[in-house]
Amino acid sequence: MSMAKYIARRSVEILMLMFVIATLTFLLFRLMPSDPMGIQIDPYRTPEEVQMMREVWGLDKSLPEQYTLFMKNTLRGEFGRSYYWGKDVYGIIREKLPPTVLLFTTMTVMSFSVGMYVGRIIAWRRGGKLEYGSTVTGMFLFSMPGFWICLLAIWVFSFKLGLFPLGGMKTDMLWVASANTPLIIKALDIGYHMFLPLTVGVVISFPGTMLMMKNVMLETLGEDYITTAKAKGLSEKVIRDHHAARNVMLPMVTVLTLSLVGSIGGSMIIETIFCWPGLGAEFLSAAMNYDYPVAQGAFIIMAALLLVALLITEILYAYLDPRIRY
Amino acid sequence: MINSRLRKPKTKWQKRKERIRNTWRLFKETKVGLIGIGILLFFTIMAFSSFIPPRIDEMYIPLYGADPDIITISSPSLKHFLGTDSMGRDLFSQLLEGSKWALIIGVTAATVSVVLSTVVGLVSGYYGGVVDVLLQRTAEVVMTLPGFPLIVIIGSLLRGVSIWNIVVLISLLGWPGASKVIRAQVLSLKERPFIDSARVCGASNFRVVFRHIAPNILPLSFLYMTFGVTGAILMEAALSFIGLGDPTTVSWGMMLQWCYRSGFIYKAPFWVLPPGLCITLLALAFYLIGMGTEQIINPRLRKR
Repeated sequence: MSMAKYIARRSVEILMLMFVIATLTFLLFRLMPSDPMGIQIDPYRTPEEVQMMREVWGLDKSLPEQYTLFMKNTLRGEFGRSYYWGKDVYGIIREKLPPTVLLFTTMTVMSFSVGMYVGRIIAWRRGGKLEYGSTVTGMFLFSMPGFWICLLAIWVFSFKLGLFPLGGMKTDMLWVASANTPLIIKALDIGYHMFLPLTVGVVISFPGTMLMMKNVMLETLGEDYITTAKAKGLSEKVIRDHHAARNVMLPMVTVLTLSLVGSIGGSMIIETIFCWPGLGAEFLSAAMNYDYPVAQGAFIIMAALLLVALLITEILYAYLDPRIRY
Repeated sequence: MINSRLRKPKTKWQKRKERIRNTWRLFKETKVGLIGIGILLFFTIMAFSSFIPPRIDEMYIPLYGADPDIITISSPSLKHFLGTDSMGRDLFSQLLEGSKWALIIGVTAATVSVVLSTVVGLVSGYYGGVVDVLLQRTAEVVMTLPGFPLIVIIGSLLRGVSIWNIVVLISLLGWPGASKVIRAQVLSLKERPFIDSARVCGASNFRVVFRHIAPNILPLSFLYMTFGVTGAILMEAALSFIGLGDPTTVSWGMMLQWCYRSGFIYKAPFWVLPPGLCITLLALAFYLIGMGTEQIINPRLRKR
């Protein structure tokens, strides 16, 4: 099977998965015991008015009709109007998405590279103090609740030492139209605000990768071809980086896929605690405020992004493992 | 060897006892597992003593008991080992109550989810065919669902969730990973000669699966259960912290949420630190026990 064919097949499968998730979301919101009208109605409305609102929202239609409407609108990117803000959900998502993508992508790439790098080194020097120390630290960090690390980090670095802002993404003064700030200052400002959430995010999520990398690498080091490479008299570095680490890449891509799904929840909490104006924080507060259109739209968009990320890792996997392509 | 053959054949119970003793010896050698058991023991004692403080005085009731002399936040003192929260409730008895709930939630959620994944793995691996495809596809869908956001949505739709809802949700979303590994193991086990001999003796499919294959799978299930407990404890803490927890249950995540909501988060280290540390240690304990088990199951990980 050629690479193109493989990608095409996986894309179709991912699309089907997206369809399943959208359907599940629809069912979830419609079959739950809470009536969407409940939040809007006050007791002084007449039954006629209530009926009119139902018609405006399309709630008088049958379930299959609602379903087709929902699917059509979702495909067009229309998620309705926020109960809480009164704004179009599409606009809210478009406003909140870039910060999330910026933070989440940087965080994932960084934590994965750090985890792989450290894991490779400690597996190579197994039995040493370095391995012991980083394994214990890794396990501790792995078992800590992420939100607690966030709180401690803010407490120490922002509140006590005053090194970083308490939250937010930018200093508003620099961004008003009259300030006329050069672009580089704006970028640095965002970087300054992003430093702490990013670091905390990496600290939360790299231990998983590191420990996994260590385990996989240790298994690979026991393989016969490593012994062969050693017997050939290749240098340590060549064996480590070209023989062992390359083969380790394969299982690690699978791990990346799974950890992506897992870290979505973590990044939502990071966004909330650091007041990062992203989709995750918006989703959480929407869910808390029973703002269902926003919660539903954000959930579908996040699931779609996640699936795109999965597709990318799968293509990477196919690229790394010729057995899948041919 | 010859001697042992001449001796009386061991009874089933003796054999079983010996096997347990051997496993325990291996487990002790791993050290990490032993540390894990130690921490777990500590928290179990804490959980069992959670009913003591309320008996001493009503003000020690974790959820609504308040010290009439102190109706606000106070630092640690002799009367309140860890101080009181913003409503004058004793933090130490809350911590004890929290360890009870953490153990209950963690162990129940992990057990339910591991039973699910074991059954799915066994059935899917042994029977194959359409059943296998269906179960595996379902597992893949559940695996790619963003679990945390999904629980948040369901929690919001139900207008708050009880502790048992949380347990059910965590276990319903947590089974696919382990079931894939167990299925792979079943696939290799069912080709072994002892399965053939069992079948030749006339064992039914059901008997083969649950009497011959399942016992060989159980250590693996236990391993995933320990990791599952870690996940469940952390998940419950995160859910409680963002405000989706059960407000009638005093869990560690709930304590942190109360602290965050009341605005003392950066002012009262005696309120913030203990629950977080407890979550970390208990999650770590189960993780360590899992690591110890893993080293017994997979001899390649043992020290050379």
